[in-house]
Amino acid sequence: MGCPCELRFDADSKEAFSWAVEPCLHEIRRFETKYSRYLPDSVTSAINRAAGASAVPIDAETAAILSYAAVCHEQSDGLFDITSGVFRRVWHPQRTTLPSRQELDACAAKVGWDKVRYSDRRVYLPLPEMELDFGGVVKEYAADAAAAVARDAGIHHGFINLGGDIRIVGPQSDGRPWPIGIVHPLHTDTAIATLSLAEGAVTTSGGYERFVEIEGRRYSHLVDPRTGWPVDGLLSVSVIASQATVAGSIATVALLQPQANALSWLERCGAPYLAVDAELRCRGHFVTEQNGGQDGPGG
Amino acid sequence: MKRPSPLAALTTAAMSLPAFAASPPVESTLSVGVSNYQEADVPPHLVVGGDNRRYDVNIRQFRLLSPVGRNWSLGLDLSRETMSGASPWGTSAGVDGEPALIMSGATIRDTRTETSLTATRYGEDHSIGLTLTRSEEDDYEAFSPALSGEWTFNDDLASLSVGLSYSNDVVEPTDAAAFGRVSREERRSRSASVGVSRVIDQSSAAYAGLSVTDHSGYLSDPYKLRDVRPEERLEWALSVRYRHYLDGPDAALHLDYRYFDDDWGVASHTLHTSWYQNLGTWFQVVPNVRYYSQSEADFYRTVDDFGLSLDVHQSSDFRLSAYGAFTFGLKAIVRQPDWSLTISADRYIGNEKYGLASGDPHPARLEFTLASVVLDIQF
Repeated sequence: MGCPCELRFDADSKEAFSWAVEPCLHEIRRFETKYSRYLPDSVTSAINRAAGASAVPIDAETAAILSYAAVCHEQSDGLFDITSGVFRRVWHPQRTTLPSRQELDACAAKVGWDKVRYSDRRVYLPLPEMELDFGGVVKEYAADAAAAVARDAGIHHGFINLGGDIRIVGPQSDGRPWPIGIVHPLHTDTAIATLSLAEGAVTTSGGYERFVEIEGRRYSHLVDPRTGWPVDGLLSVSVIASQATVAGSIATVALLQPQANALSWLERCGAPYLAVDAELRCRGHFVTEQNGGQDGPGG
Repeated sequence: MKRPSPLAALTTAAMSLPAFAASPPVESTLSVGVSNYQEADVPPHLVVGGDNRRYDVNIRQFRLLSPVGRNWSLGLDLSRETMSGASPWGTSAGVDGEPALIMSGATIRDTRTETSLTATRYGEDHSIGLTLTRSEEDDYEAFSPALSGEWTFNDDLASLSVGLSYSNDVVEPTDAAAFGRVSREERRSRSASVGVSRVIDQSSAAYAGLSVTDHSGYLSDPYKLRDVRPEERLEWALSVRYRHYLDGPDAALHLDYRYFDDDWGVASHTLHTSWYQNLGTWFQVVPNVRYYSQSEADFYRTVDDFGLSLDVHQSSDFRLSAYGAFTFGLKAIVRQPDWSLTISADRYIGNEKYGLASGDPHPARLEFTLASVVLDIQF
């Protein structure tokens, strides 16, 4: 998944442990190869290569992910858009000057989930150079799917952490919840908060993960698909939900908005969250043991 | 109106992802419906005996479809029809020499109950189903097992379906002794069908199918005064269907054509076109028009000939005459996430003048109105 992958299982025996680990890793790798933007024989590459030319047959799993992405797009009023990867062509790390309006407009013409034609069996990108990027869904979904595989393999205690997207398989063997550290947006080797989780999922993402530095200023890799412009909002957002897929989508949409809008979106969603703003203040519902910063309202 | 929370909407959407579908919420469909079918009265001057009020049928339907385990589904269909009215007994020459109807008295009352049970097994790329149907009326009983299978291939872009069915029917006419009717007769039908469907491009799909049916036994109408039909009938039918979705109006055009032919000399064409218009997410209206035309059976007669010997085939049943018919229908569908309501009305007008082949006027030509309300609930 191009990110650290941590499996933590409490099993009765070494055999039971390895019995479960292999199929889990296999499931995670399966998602990586199936949906990678970089592998030429991935589903994503096949769809993107056929942009503007032809529809591509898809399997039920891909169709289900597209349907889910459609609901995310609708719920977020267009902010969650798996076609927005096109903007990476202007906001790339080698960039030294800000892009012109024309450059952004040229990309914007090839972005828009509304343009995508899809059914249970096929997907079609109607314009050449349009592209789909499943990255915003698949990493979290892989954590959920791997947790299901672990449970099927007899694991009752453990969690799966794919680069900050954590899905609990079950509580610790003595029944206690797992302590989960929320990474500090600026000092990524330390935790800004720790929470306890016995079931469900928590995902954390932030603009700190990847950025472009232009004329001494950092621009987040998170781009508003409607304007093509990087979003200056929260530094990081963690969301708790029963599935990592859902938590991840809510967090992603929060990061694509200015701070005030992001906080009202999180409140409207009704899932517990922890938001870290530009002044490193924590806001949200589940600050249990704060390791830095100050308590925010609603904490 | 308060929007549902995004968390609820996303969680619902995520539940259909395969990783969560492993323990699916058992989603069953319950469907209940009522319909009324009303035939227009026969003009009194065309009736020489009996009542001129034709059939009025009330239909109640119940359907339950439920998944069982991961690979099976079970379906139960119940329908109950209550009929009343008069039906044509035969024809005779009227005062002006034109055929006129001899109708039954208006006392016919009958109830038909049909029970059908279907078990379907789903595999990776195929499904196989077995259906057992039992139909009962006061004077009629039928039992019919049917087997069907469907295979998808070419990345689900094409599918092949086959079906086999058998039916054994027993007729025991009421008042057989009083009217000199047959007391008990049997008929059997065997049917086989094969069909291929294919997705053509982003917005269109097509289907072509062929079916063959063989009937044998007592195929005459026991209630007609004189109705002598062959004891064998071989039918075949070719169907083609085309579906095209149009982005602009957000609507789909359905075009269906069927050609039917049999060894009694009846050949028919059916052309049915429907327009599925979406109006927003929750509402759909479907206007549709159907045209039907058939040629007459070789042994069809406009006026029953009681002088012919009993081994000479003859029938004055309007269903074996040459005629054409138009059906105009309108359907409205309200869809919600866990229920949908369908209201429909159809008007059928049959006339010998509408047919492609020339036909003699038949006093029993049919006009009817069909109205239905169906509620589907998922739970």
